[in-house]
Amino acid sequence: MNSINTENLSIAYEEKLIVKGLDMCIPKGKITTIIGPNGCGKSTLLKAVGRILKPKDGIVYLNGEDIHNLTTKEIAQKMAILPQSPQAPSGLTVGELVAYGRFPHQKGFGKLKEEDKEIIQWALEVTKILEFETTIVDNLSGGQRQRVWIAMALAQGTDLILLDEPTTYLDLSYQLEVLELLYNLNKKQNKTIVMVLHDLNLASRFADHMVAIRCGEIISHGDPEKVMTPEILKEVFNIDAHIVRDPRKGCLTCISYDLIKNKNNMCAKICGGMNI
Amino acid sequence: MENIKQKNEAHKNKVAKRNITILITCLILLILSFVISMNTGYTKLSPNDTLKTLFGGGSHKEKLILFKFRLPRIVVSILVGIGLSLSGCIIQGISRNPLADPGLLGINAGAGLMVILYVMFFGAKSFLSVFTLPFLALIGAGITAILIYILSYKKGEGVAPLRLILTGIAIQAGISALTTLLVIKLDDTQFDFVANWQAGSIWASNWNFVMTLLPWILILVPYIMMKSRVLDILNLGDELAYSLGTEVERERQLLLGAAVALAASSVSVSGSIGFVGLIAPHLARRLVGPKHRILLPTCALIGAVLVSISDTIAKIIVQPLEIPTGIVVAIVGAPYFLYLLSRNTQ
Repeated sequence: MNSINTENLSIAYEEKLIVKGLDMCIPKGKITTIIGPNGCGKSTLLKAVGRILKPKDGIVYLNGEDIHNLTTKEIAQKMAILPQSPQAPSGLTVGELVAYGRFPHQKGFGKLKEEDKEIIQWALEVTKILEFETTIVDNLSGGQRQRVWIAMALAQGTDLILLDEPTTYLDLSYQLEVLELLYNLNKKQNKTIVMVLHDLNLASRFADHMVAIRCGEIISHGDPEKVMTPEILKEVFNIDAHIVRDPRKGCLTCISYDLIKNKNNMCAKICGGMNI
Repeated sequence: MENIKQKNEAHKNKVAKRNITILITCLILLILSFVISMNTGYTKLSPNDTLKTLFGGGSHKEKLILFKFRLPRIVVSILVGIGLSLSGCIIQGISRNPLADPGLLGINAGAGLMVILYVMFFGAKSFLSVFTLPFLALIGAGITAILIYILSYKKGEGVAPLRLILTGIAIQAGISALTTLLVIKLDDTQFDFVANWQAGSIWASNWNFVMTLLPWILILVPYIMMKSRVLDILNLGDELAYSLGTEVERERQLLLGAAVALAASSVSVSGSIGFVGLIAPHLARRLVGPKHRILLPTCALIGAVLVSISDTIAKIIVQPLEIPTGIVVAIVGAPYFLYLLSRNTQ
């Protein structure tokens, strides 16, 4: 059973084709990580799946339904999307921001019901930010702030959460904190998690399912054992990677890599090296 | 755990109480400025006489002064304050830009150009002007706003707030240049009239103007209050707003439309009082935070207080002459605004 399927999906900015005829599936109840070089269309793909961008061609199915037959509100009840480095309005408290996650479920003037309050409380507790409920978001550290955004997505009460580089600008320990939080949410609440990650090793460590993209096309997808190979990383990133098994975690890890010389960067040629 | 919850609840109650206190304080200030304004003007009326006249007593002259001249002017200044400050609050919220104000949507420039064109063709003393001018200013403001919207619209992406602001600045500069060019050709009386209008004098002080402005306020203010949650969500940026289930482009069109209508109808009776739309939302946000359910009413009250106090000062400061209210708003507002900014950068 898949949470998301895309069928022949093409996305373009004006005339520039970023994603070409992509068929991708996101398995339900799993963690999927999307990897690929800068400008390969990862974020663009995530936005099209979240209906933030209108695709040029092709269809996105959410639980088997064409998302363009669903209203924005219906989608928001099924799928939460966290863009890369979101910004909170200054002066907003953590509790108020997390409460915004209930928006797709509210009607009229939007007084919070008992049920809304419970789920907000739960989201604050599970992300360990209850003690900051009345703190202004601007005053938190990067790692805490990222947990606040995840709490907001959790308050949305969706089975599916999409995150665009949730660990950017975070220190090593905060990166792990955020990813472990997502891991636990997947294991305990059975949430389907899709995230774009820059760090290959973290992507391999936390993924059940990996998707490697270059120039808007899927090069490989499947479990990390299938995707984290020197051959595929060479094709995707144009690097000569040395892959070993992590002695502690047992996952595949790239411990060293070199640029492959004397080979034109194919992606720069095809995509024009556009940073998306 | 329970301890933390209790602490959080206590804190939330404290904030709610403080917000209500702020609202009530603003309301009291508004009533005070209303009373003071009723007592001030060219003819002195004691508070006692004013009260007596308001409740049905008083001489014919007193009645005339209060009901025919002062009361409508106060009501207009309060309504203008509400309209401009809410308009600014919406525009700042949608564009996520704290420096945005209704002027950026070309409202002042468009209305000003129409006023000049009218004065050029029909003269400043035309008996029709009292009624036609607000209407024309409204049309000028509306056309400019629509033009800016169309020019900043991009297929597939809609109207990005930053592009809207940049287009607004460009169009505004163009119209201002045209306006300056036309002003040179005016004769003295025409020039005085236009200069006065541009400085923002609440010259339109009779009940007809209250009646042209009031319907807009009565319809749009409740509508905007209803949309306060949508404004909160739009404030998070387009992507999150989509993710939370908002039809971003459509909501933005509706809210921008409301902001334009509010500002244009206000400017059409008051001349260009730009600063209120910038400063009132700032003050309100500082006092009660960015949640629109409390921010909007606070902002409206602050705007009303600001314009009505400024109008009172405008009436008394250089008696028997009057200086335009817009100038007083800027003189009173600018130093305070600078003070706030300097405190903010610590």
